[in-house]
Amino acid sequence: MPAIEMSNPAALPADWRDILALTKPRVMSLVVFSGLCGMLAAPSLPPVALAFTAILCIALAAGACGALNQWYEVEVDAKMRRTAKRPLPSGRMQREVALQFGVGLGAFSVLLMGLATNWLAAVLLAVSILFYMLVYTVWLKPRTAQNIVIGGAAGAFPPLIGWVAATGHVEALPLLLFVIVFLWTPPHFWALSLFVRSDYAAAGIPMLPVVAGPQHTRKQIFLYSVLLAGAAVSPWPLGLTGPIYGASAAILSFVFLVLAARVLANRATEPQHMDAEKHLFAFSVFYLFALFTVLVADRFLPW
Amino acid sequence: MRAEDEIIRKRQRERARIMAWLLGGFVVLLFFITIAKTEINW
Repeated sequence: MPAIEMSNPAALPADWRDILALTKPRVMSLVVFSGLCGMLAAPSLPPVALAFTAILCIALAAGACGALNQWYEVEVDAKMRRTAKRPLPSGRMQREVALQFGVGLGAFSVLLMGLATNWLAAVLLAVSILFYMLVYTVWLKPRTAQNIVIGGAAGAFPPLIGWVAATGHVEALPLLLFVIVFLWTPPHFWALSLFVRSDYAAAGIPMLPVVAGPQHTRKQIFLYSVLLAGAAVSPWPLGLTGPIYGASAAILSFVFLVLAARVLANRATEPQHMDAEKHLFAFSVFYLFALFTVLVADRFLPW
Repeated sequence: MRAEDEIIRKRQRERARIMAWLLGGFVVLLFFITIAKTEINW
């Protein structure tokens, strides 16, 4: 079928696929997974309907953050190759639609979480949305190279929220899960920003490799990887998890450290010579999935 | 009908259908939440 030229695509009703794209479904999958694992690691589980609703609310809140982020950063997204084809910078949707969708989805997710599980979980969910939008997106991201360090806290909320939705209170283990995701975020994003540095520079975002250079970033990646390894293994000696988690966390963290050391040793400045950074970035995603999977396995397996 | 009007109608139809499914799903979810909340004394 021949393509139809439209006078103003943004003036048309938005395509549902574009509305779905606003929620950043791939980012949502990691958020949902960590929230689910936080819930499954809790000592008591709510009925299936409430557990499903809690995870749904975490997903909806993540979708709201994605929509509000794209609404606020439309000019920045237009300057980066990676994001230029999103619905707003490409002109397929009106900006107000993203704002209304994001605010509506966020408010709905908090309200539903409070009514279905408990209000502490709802408050944490609201704090995570506001933290991501106001502290990270609006305040830190355009101003400081440490944006991802403090902003990482927003992504660290889901396992804590999952746990609180199940139990109604905060304990040591979910706080440690929060710390693990918090410390995991800088190496993960800095590895990415090393090999897409030109994109961030073009958009004027002060990511660490743009501001401080690749070598300083590599040192910071290694430093945070060491802290991450310590935090990831710590639930075992503290008696909060069993040996399955402890051994798995130690092995996974060792591999993470080896890959981070390879990044530290790399002197390349061109993305085509940054295999070490690409390997660390890819492994960091697997690392978090694997770590949370063994956490749940450790909770349910009999030894 | 112009090609642009056709696209508008198509998108409205698709969005209305999806919204109907989502609202239906929400009603079912509310039903199960109510059952779960009445069975446990949270």
